[in-house]
Amino acid sequence: MVSVATRAAIDAEIAKMPEKRGALLAALRLVQAEYGYLPPEVMEEVAQIFGLHPTEVFEVVSFYNHFHVQPRGRHEVNVCTSLTCSLRGGRGLLRQLQAYLGVRAGQTTEDGRISLGHEECLGACGNAPMLRIDDTYHLDLDWVRTQQLLDGLE
Amino acid sequence: MLRITVDGTAYEVEEGLTLLQALDDLGVLMKGVDIPHYCWHPKLSIDGSCRMCQVEVEGVPKLQIACDTPVRDGMVVHTGNERVRKAREGVMELMLVNHPLDCPICDQAGECKLQDYAFDYGQMHTRTREPRRALKKRVDLGATIVFDQERCILCRRCVRFCREIPGTSELAITQRGDRSTVETFPGKPLENDYSMNVADICPVGALTTRDFRFKVRVWFLEEVPGICTGCSRGCNVHVGVADDQVRRYTPRRNDEVNDTWLCDYGRMTYQEIGAPDRISEPAVRGDAGQLVGTTLEQAVECAAQLMRTAVEKEGPGVVAALASAHATNEDLAALRGLLAALGSETHGVPIVTGPADALLIRPEKAANAEGARVAGFGEPGLLLDKIRGGGVRVLIVLGHDIIHEQFLGSPEALAALDGVILLDTHRSRLEQVAHVVIPARHLAEKGGTVTNFEGRVQAVPAALEPAFEAVAEAQVLARIASALDLSISDESERKRETD
Ligand code: SF4
Ligand code: SF4
Ligand code: FES
Repeated sequence: MVSVATRAAIDAEIAKMPEKRGALLAALRLVQAEYGYLPPEVMEEVAQIFGLHPTEVFEVVSFYNHFHVQPRGRHEVNVCTSLTCSLRGGRGLLRQLQAYLGVRAGQTTEDGRISLGHEECLGACGNAPMLRIDDTYHLDLDWVRTQQLLDGLE
Repeated sequence: MLRITVDGTAYEVEEGLTLLQALDDLGVLMKGVDIPHYCWHPKLSIDGSCRMCQVEVEGVPKLQIACDTPVRDGMVVHTGNERVRKAREGVMELMLVNHPLDCPICDQAGECKLQDYAFDYGQMHTRTREPRRALKKRVDLGATIVFDQERCILCRRCVRFCREIPGTSELAITQRGDRSTVETFPGKPLENDYSMNVADICPVGALTTRDFRFKVRVWFLEEVPGICTGCSRGCNVHVGVADDQVRRYTPRRNDEVNDTWLCDYGRMTYQEIGAPDRISEPAVRGDAGQLVGTTLEQAVECAAQLMRTAVEKEGPGVVAALASAHATNEDLAALRGLLAALGSETHGVPIVTGPADALLIRPEKAANAEGARVAGFGEPGLLLDKIRGGGVRVLIVLGHDIIHEQFLGSPEALAALDGVILLDTHRSRLEQVAHVVIPARHLAEKGGTVTNFEGRVQAVPAALEPAFEAVAEAQVLARIASALDLSISDESERKRETD
């Protein structure tokens, strides 16, 4: 069950929309913030709130990279690999990260500390290569700096 | 009414329809006016996702998708000119970019729209060198349906079907772009009473029924019109026959009866036809009390003898009949005729009932329940009372529904009769008390008419010969009548005319 506070926040989002289902994305973000990911029971609960079939919610969840149906690590590390970043070493950085952490992009380290991923343009091309750790951008990276950042994570 | 012109021919169409709907209603779509389409289905909502149905509408600069373009008065449409052809070729090329083209091992080959249109609009070579997307070839969506991810063209027909027809919505298109695929919700497999229809409407070989897959190439099938015998809806089917066996039922469109659907239960009733428990040989009870195989002539003679003796001793009133709601109107008319010729008025019909729904499935679990009522067969209660009271000596029984738990539950109540003459398709415990057993034909083996719950009389031809010697009940009854020097032809003829 989503918490009372989350439910209230969802209702507030719904109130902003001409059509109820317009608030679905916002609701999913709120619910994922509470649970860390979107397990089937939670998608079903959201479906119920919106009067949708669970499969309709599942379609939306699976469409967006930022929604997760599996539990995630405590931290998200996402390297930008769109064209500009790739030209400036984004992909190399990702490869080094994979080797260092022993997981492939899309996977989570065994200790549950880090979920590694890559994503499309984060809008920081001028400071490539870059990555995002949770909600913070880290720009103009080299490997030494990146390692420090990783080692500093809980 | 609006007037439109399609490829030079004028049509009157109803307002508010789209071009494809209007042409389908006129009965000319793909029968004169060929507009290839994948995602549009006459009984589902409009999706507009495949882009295959593009046509040129005069006065409109870009090509329009016929499935989602409303008809306008004076509209002039071209469905096959060079510009339209080019567009279709483009759509086909993109559709085939990721298609595995594994037709040689695909069950849909031979009835695949992708294959058909590829012949019409496909390029003979591919311009892409990138690897095709490699996905799972065998995903169990539920107990009845197997999904090949690589073959899916993402038309959403199956998704829309589950949302709009049974309303169960088990299927979803998940992911995006070239990772899109059909999936079920975690832990919720495709499971509804109509699940197998998704295999029929899937335009490609992505969805196959576990039952039919890899059983027979479709071009070896002879498809004969038939009627499902599962309930009194009387859904129209194609009976698919290969090697003298029925291999599948698929829906035959009839907007008045079943649209384009079948329930899963009814679809699987084809298996009854070739079932190992068919009664395949006439038998009579021998001196030692066992049923002994014999010829049809002798079985008929034996039946006639039982009836003759009873009538001579105690009059025609002691001969009675239990009809079957599985029999055709012709069989039922023959039974009425025989009884009338004898002078007996004691009869009834057991009709087994079960769960129903608001879509197709009817409570009466036989194709001709209404036909039996119209033929004058009523509830079997009075007859059963009379049997228990000793007022019946010889009983003709069509089928074995009478020993269903909703009626007698067991054949014991009939054990005291002097003669039980059983005409039936499948073995049952009723044989234990029968003196004469005569094999009958299934509807698909004899053809004829059955009357559905709304009183619609539907005629079908025979689709195949039974694997053993058997004649229709009407003919057995006629032979019994002639062995008794009775004539029933008038009565059955009269019945047929009023049907
Ligand atoms: S599985 Fe078949 S019906 Fe469903 S979306 Fe794919 S191609 Fe269409
Ligand atoms: S609804 Fe009745 S007639 Fe139709 S397929 Fe099912 S059992 Fe057969
Ligand atoms: S049939 Fe019109 S877009 Fe698919």
